[in-house]
Amino acid sequence: MKLKPATGRRLANLAVSIWAAASALLGILILFWILYVVIHRGLGALNLSFFTQLPTPPGMGGGGLANAILGTLVLTAAATLMAVPLGLLAGVYLAEFSEDSKLGDYSRFSANVLMGIPSIIVGVFAYTMVVVPLGNFSGYAGALALAILMLPVVARTTEDMLRLVPNTLRESALALGAPRWKVTLAIVFRAAKSGLITGILLAVARVSGETAPLLFTALNSPYWFHSLGEPTPNLTVTIFNYAMSPYPDWQQKAWGASLLITLGVLITTVLARFLLREKKV
Amino acid sequence: MSSHDLTLPRIGRLTPFERKANLAPQEETGPRTEGKPAAPLQVVDQVPIAAAAAETTIESAVVLTRLGLSSKVSTRHLDFFYGDNQALFDNNLDIAAHRVTAIIGPSGCGKSTHLRIYNRIFELYRDQQASGEVLLDGANILDPHYDIMELRRKIGMIFQKPTPFPMSVFDNVAYGLKLHYTMKKSEMADRVEEALSRAALWDEVKDFLNRPGTALSGGQQQRLCIARALAVEPEVLLMDEPTSAIDPIATSKIEELVHDLRNSYTIVIVTHNMQQAARISDFTAFFFQGHIIEFGETEMIFTKPSRKQTEDYITGRFG
Repeated sequence: MKLKPATGRRLANLAVSIWAAASALLGILILFWILYVVIHRGLGALNLSFFTQLPTPPGMGGGGLANAILGTLVLTAAATLMAVPLGLLAGVYLAEFSEDSKLGDYSRFSANVLMGIPSIIVGVFAYTMVVVPLGNFSGYAGALALAILMLPVVARTTEDMLRLVPNTLRESALALGAPRWKVTLAIVFRAAKSGLITGILLAVARVSGETAPLLFTALNSPYWFHSLGEPTPNLTVTIFNYAMSPYPDWQQKAWGASLLITLGVLITTVLARFLLREKKV
Repeated sequence: MSSHDLTLPRIGRLTPFERKANLAPQEETGPRTEGKPAAPLQVVDQVPIAAAAAETTIESAVVLTRLGLSSKVSTRHLDFFYGDNQALFDNNLDIAAHRVTAIIGPSGCGKSTHLRIYNRIFELYRDQQASGEVLLDGANILDPHYDIMELRRKIGMIFQKPTPFPMSVFDNVAYGLKLHYTMKKSEMADRVEEALSRAALWDEVKDFLNRPGTALSGGQQQRLCIARALAVEPEVLLMDEPTSAIDPIATSKIEELVHDLRNSYTIVIVTHNMQQAARISDFTAFFFQGHIIEFGETEMIFTKPSRKQTEDYITGRFG
């Protein structure tokens, strides 16, 4: 029996290490590349009028996307209002009360499937359920589509976060005579607070950049936002429209809007990570 | 029964047929008393039990009667199941009022399982089931009509790991008070102080009542949990290995505390630490594989155990 030469093993080790490091680097590189391009091209578009004025027709210059910024905020807020209470309660059921029940298994499975459904299909669904019966595009349809996308994310992260709370904490509250719902609300929620907020923030970040579900629900509008009952201006569909247009000033605005959304998602995600770290201390 | 008798005592073992019969409403029939050794003492009257005839076979009832003590909690023909697995077999145990009773036995022998029936905390888990009787002052707490909030006010529990709630020290202790009583803020503050004092924690935390309970040291957290349990004025304290997760100095503080509390409360403590059981308890029950093998005054159990298994365990031959 002979020992294999060490050089071969060392070389293989080196090669695999380099390969792994390079792959990791590639991921980071692409992220920073996107950030660089978006900042480089978009920063020039961001000025005061971008945040305060309505869009102008192509070629006129000036103007802004104030209506779309406001519209996106309203759509996201409306979707959050619909999805978060439902999602939290669903998560509570899955984590606290579903113990081995069929309903729990089915809803957990459905939530997982729902998370994997392409967002444009959710858009088509909202279109047939809201836009067609009502006869017009509306912010409600858009918010509903976004809410459907948020719901499983909130439900599953809520379940995961509540499951992280040790059972002994539930037991000791129950042992004091607390009824189950009080244990959940006053003790378990409080113990999982930062995790729950993190989940909600991540769900918000995920839908605030969605375009496909808004294309034929909220549509878009060059006017001020009035009500969710009519086509609602929003940043992502604006990016879609402007980026495909042949007008340089519109394309410039699309870059500006892209930068804004990217920064929004980035800040939300960082905030969520920060909150989760707080919890561990 | 000689101390080297290898067979299990009659109280702890049933044939599968008897076990099945046990699940039905209790009825004392021939087979249970057949062939048992003559009872050393006569029947007890201050312990409320279904069938007096059975009392002569229950070691703990006999011991308490001999000492003239009354029973605060009594279990009769108590079986426990995790799903299809039976974990406790015909447990008959009497817990003396205002005394400390230790439950010892090797890991997995069912001592914690037994304790967790007393306040029905096992009901949190759907597949766990108890049958038989647990009598608190004579009333069967396993009866679904027994008010569970009141039960858990009367029977407090301390867990293996300290479990401070994610709130301030003050709110931790006030939590149970708010559940069970309505009172003025000033009275609440008095009651919280009293509970913390009884748990020998007041002097250490009086200046930090608004700090989170989780910021205390492990030993302090455990005494906070004891204060929290004492605040609602329980009659019985269940302690499930309360010192196994904390350091020796904090452990001795808790043991002193148990010693101080013994006069005001009935205490049941599960411990895997035999020295601890010997130090702090008046009575000891030895569990093995879900059966209660032996019950007696702690001194007797540790010096002159009457069963071979108890002796083997205490002398470290197994477990």
